Amino acid sequence: MALEVSHVVGGYSQIPVLKDISFDVKDGELVGLIGLNGAGKSTTINHVIGLLTPHKGTITLNGVTIDQDSQAYKQQIAYIPETPVLYQELTLREHLEVTMMAYDLDHDQAWATAHELLKTFRLDNKLDWFPANFSKGMKQKVMIVCAFLTQAKLFIIDEPFLGLDPLAVNDLLNLIEDRKKKGASILMSTHVLDTAQRYCDRFVLLHDGQVKTEGTLSELQAALPEAGESLNDIYLSMTKVDRA
Amino acid sequence: MTGLFKTRLQRHLREMAKYLRLVFNDFFVFALLFLLGGLGYGYSNMLKTLKTGYWWAPVVALLVLVIVAQIGRFATLIEDADRVFLLPKERAMHAYLVAARRYSQGLAQATQVIAVFLLAPFMSVTMAWPVLSLVELGLAQIILKDALLRLDLASAYQVTGQTRMNRWEFKWLLSIIVLAAGLWTLPLVAVGLALILDIAVAVWFAQHWQKQQIRWREQIKIEDNRMLGIYRFFNMFTEVPMLSGTIKRRRYLDGLFKLIKPRHDKFYLYLYSRGMVRGSEFSGLVVRLTVIGMLLLYFVRGEWLPVILAALFIYLIGFQLLPFFQQYDDVVFTHVYPILPAQRLKSFVTLITLILSVAALLLWLVVVVANPHLMTAGVTLLVEVVEVWYLARIYTPQRLARSIENRA
Repeated sequence: MALEVSHVVGGYSQIPVLKDISFDVKDGELVGLIGLNGAGKSTTINHVIGLLTPHKGTITLNGVTIDQDSQAYKQQIAYIPETPVLYQELTLREHLEVTMMAYDLDHDQAWATAHELLKTFRLDNKLDWFPANFSKGMKQKVMIVCAFLTQAKLFIIDEPFLGLDPLAVNDLLNLIEDRKKKGASILMSTHVLDTAQRYCDRFVLLHDGQVKTEGTLSELQAALPEAGESLNDIYLSMTKVDRA
Repeated sequence: MTGLFKTRLQRHLREMAKYLRLVFNDFFVFALLFLLGGLGYGYSNMLKTLKTGYWWAPVVALLVLVIVAQIGRFATLIEDADRVFLLPKERAMHAYLVAARRYSQGLAQATQVIAVFLLAPFMSVTMAWPVLSLVELGLAQIILKDALLRLDLASAYQVTGQTRMNRWEFKWLLSIIVLAAGLWTLPLVAVGLALILDIAVAVWFAQHWQKQQIRWREQIKIEDNRMLGIYRFFNMFTEVPMLSGTIKRRRYLDGLFKLIKPRHDKFYLYLYSRGMVRGSEFSGLVVRLTVIGMLLLYFVRGEWLPVILAALFIYLIGFQLLPFFQQYDDVVFTHVYPILPAQRLKSFVTLITLILSVAALLLWLVVVVANPHLMTAGVTLLVEVVEVWYLARIYTPQRLARSIENRA
């Protein structure tokens, strides 16, 4: 059990956005976090990466909570935010270097990985560029390269498919597949449901700060037999029930 | 469109008024009065030592007037979103830009009048010019500035293809020709030349602008830079939220960074040092304060005054640097990366110690050069060492530890 979120109540202020949320992500598993705008996806992610502290409940990562040992907890996580954030004064090369420093990676080995990733995402000739010169998609690729440079056990990817070109989306999915095989877990939030349906092992459907359902596609289909075949249909029917 | 400009101008003036109130606080007004009084006194004393007929007097007058003619920029108050929302209204923008130029005249022409007024005593002493000639020269200066601002307005359009008419070389050349003609022949000649220039640009522009596009991107950038300059000035006195500063690569300093080994515990030193050097916000502050301190210490004499001033400047620099600790708080990785807060604090203390030590050394060197007393130099060094140690090693960690706790 890599990530275990249990009975988490939390949010940005005293008013909870998340109302008693529980789910898990196992080793070598890609879990899709699905929900409308404002359903609580980003809040959930912010709790997992430690930006927010839960009011109630616990989040454990391979047996460690952030309170027990923040270093050991954070060491296991690599995060790709929805909106790319970069240090304005550091070049691409230096971004890679600080990532290596932060995760205490072996310099030569990490650079070998880095060069491969840079080539894949066609950034290898832009090592001395500043973030200001990158387009939004390029910045997102920098985020991906930095995250996959690490040997993290849990990758948290917030809405990765918007803004990336089709080639990069494909490359990212390959990277995810590769890390899964090596035993890493991935928690990914997205609105692109047909891609999610094809690649995710399991889904957590969030609605209004609660976990509506969770499980594999066939489990979801079994739970909501009238809803339809695709994840899209299931999701739409689920939100409709609530609206009616 | 003039309505739009008026609304924006009102908002702009309200904002400027807010900052000016903060800039001209009692302390600053007091200091400014002293400074102006001192300068005025010095100027009048200097005038007493001058006689008529120096060959260099018109050269000095020319230089001052040419430089002053460049002061006062074309303030358009154009915003980034305009290139999307106002693009369909491009023709109507002409009225907006004309209104903007009219507004820009105010401050620019006031500067010209004041400059000529201040220069007048000098010219009447050294060049024996009568009042009427000085008034004529002032008139020429105003018309010249009008023409230069017209060039700025014309350059907002792509009227001259890729070359711009308001390039600084061109403006300087025009100013030199017009003013030199006035200073070495008759001031009325300058008035005539400036008028010809102004009318020529006006006529030519009136015939050409309709068919041309506005250089949106460039105008937005120019206006952004203008506002940035203003905010930077205000930033010396108060916090300006819009100020993010510019980033320069400064490749020649890369050697310096090589001293920081890319190890886990040096993460923040690596980040902070580059951020400090390449961002202009804080490094500019350090450089400005150090240079001002050095200049002041060079001219100040006395046994204790240099010691107090050196200590004061180090305190000012150190104090102003503290907010840099939070510089990267809005980058999520600052929180997500597995680095202990203690390491961050340690790196910051190292950086502050380094910066303050260099500043202290520079200030001390000036004290040594400017003061014959060994005693003063010795005491200054001692005070500086103690102060840097206390500020960086004791005060900074205490203060920032409190700010970290408050957040958690």
